[in-house]
Amino acid sequence: MNPALPAGLWCGLLLGAQLLRARALGRRPLFAPAAGDPAAGVRYAFTGAMLPWAKESVRLNPGSYAAGIAYHLGIAAAFALVFVPSRALAALALLGALAGCSLLAKRIVMPHLRGLSNADDFVSNALATAFAGIAAAGPATSRILPWACAALLVYIPLGKIRHCAFFFLSRYHLGAFFGRRGTFPPAAQERLHG
Amino acid sequence: MVETIDLEKGLQAFRARLGEADAAHLNACVHCGLCAQSCHYYRMDPQLENVPARKLDLVAQVFRRHFTVLGRLGLQGAALDDAMAKAWLDAVYGRCSLCGRCSLNCTVGINLPRVFKAARAALTAMGLAPADLQATVDNSLRHGNNMAITREDWVETVDWLQDELRAETGDPLAEMPMDRHGAKILFTVNPREPKFFPLSLQASAKVFWAAGEDWTLASEGWDLTNYGLFNCNDKEAGTITQSLVDAMERLGCETLVIGECGHGFASARWEGPEWLQAAYPFKVRSFLEVMDEYLEQGRIRVDPGMNTKAVTLHDPCNLVRHGGVTEPQRRILAKTVSCFREMTPNRAENFCCGGGGGQLAMGAYKERRMRSGGMKAQQIRDSGAKVVVAPCHNCIDQLSELNKEYKLNVQIKTVAEMVADALVTEPPTGEP
Repeated sequence: MNPALPAGLWCGLLLGAQLLRARALGRRPLFAPAAGDPAAGVRYAFTGAMLPWAKESVRLNPGSYAAGIAYHLGIAAAFALVFVPSRALAALALLGALAGCSLLAKRIVMPHLRGLSNADDFVSNALATAFAGIAAAGPATSRILPWACAALLVYIPLGKIRHCAFFFLSRYHLGAFFGRRGTFPPAAQERLHG
Repeated sequence: MVETIDLEKGLQAFRARLGEADAAHLNACVHCGLCAQSCHYYRMDPQLENVPARKLDLVAQVFRRHFTVLGRLGLQGAALDDAMAKAWLDAVYGRCSLCGRCSLNCTVGINLPRVFKAARAALTAMGLAPADLQATVDNSLRHGNNMAITREDWVETVDWLQDELRAETGDPLAEMPMDRHGAKILFTVNPREPKFFPLSLQASAKVFWAAGEDWTLASEGWDLTNYGLFNCNDKEAGTITQSLVDAMERLGCETLVIGECGHGFASARWEGPEWLQAAYPFKVRSFLEVMDEYLEQGRIRVDPGMNTKAVTLHDPCNLVRHGGVTEPQRRILAKTVSCFREMTPNRAENFCCGGGGGQLAMGAYKERRMRSGGMKAQQIRDSGAKVVVAPCHNCIDQLSELNKEYKLNVQIKTVAEMVADALVTEPPTGEP
């Protein structure tokens, strides 16, 4: 049996339990009348707010943003490669692995990022980068690819890669908050950077 | 201090704040570090302790240890102990003005101030809120305003300002009504105005006078400030909010108008109903929205030729990013000044002046406050403006200090002062 399947089940169950646990903490009813549309804020949070020009943090770090995009696409491609061989996906996975290496190097080199890092940051990066690299190297690595995939899946709910689920919940709440306040989405005339 | 901290009380207060959104935010950080440059503390002092993700991590560690299965098994997180409480204090009171700029720049979308407020609530419950900040809250609870101004002094100050208004306008019927029952608007002010900036209050009154507004001040329940927003004690914050609600009910007014104060607006408009767990039976508006409407409806007329110096505008975080009031002040200034220059960046992307989050009331962190304010000082300098308009009295205090510290050589004014200076009024016809 492909070890990725039980690992995937483990990952899904634990992430699901964590999300349910978060949900069980509840949402407070809100009494102040909204100034904007929370739904529009959520839509913006998942679209315009994620675009490079919408964030100063990205404008100042375009390389990291690009590496992050490549990393996530590469990992997604690697998951697909567990089931479907494809040269295009392998190229994407290779790009992701290289991006993962660059982000790891950045974490080691930059003082504030190094100080911010803990073992989980390195283990998470190592597992995801190795997985993408092994997937990219197929078919030579086809025997170990399911195991690399399983290792990553087992680790996901235990470390920071759980953000693959909480990212959506976090952005949803941020969008709803700023949407309600009328901050999201910014009107076209409000986008002025001097 | 170490012996007296009631950690269990802190955990209970922290737990009481946690909801689905908090759990999401506390589980989502990937330590990418891209939030660093969005923080004015880090920009002006690039050390690890000023990185927003680092501050978040301290809170997340405790969340994981005490409120997750893996944490309870001792596999993740760190316990809330005396050392961690001190670390929290330094991080969420000493290195954060709750401005929320990091939230907009977070790659994941974490609402960091929301989490930091939960940590502040825990520290306050443990008796660790900075004493001078807590004293400000206590003043409001005991005296009805955060500067302990007596009712007599408040009423006398308004009487005196009314005389000044009559002299300035030449209208012997110009009024600053007190406790006028049934007035359309109850106008609330920051105690700094009667105490230190009476001309700012007089300017607001002049705008009301020019618009022919049916308004009143209250002899009790007149303070718009609420430092419960900063010590994050919801009960105390609710009690302070209740005094505004009581004044509205007592006077039977239709709309509560919040003078130029960022945290006061956020407290009354956004947080107050949540603290009280009830919707208000009246509207809450910023004075900026009211003045904007006066201009739009032609109720007041202004001459931009009266304000010829180059003007820039500071965006208070609680009014703009967290309050959603972004454009009224710009529309007003577009009509009342002849040379307006935006800061870069501006609106929701503005930098905090450094005085937010109650920092002005926390003496222990003054040096950090002044250093972090360097971002705003640079923005002002770069704008080339000679007048900085700030629709928030906390910001005005901080900007005034920055003005001296960074030798900016600018004037700091409220929006109402700019409008009052530009008012075009008919010759008075009233009789004394």
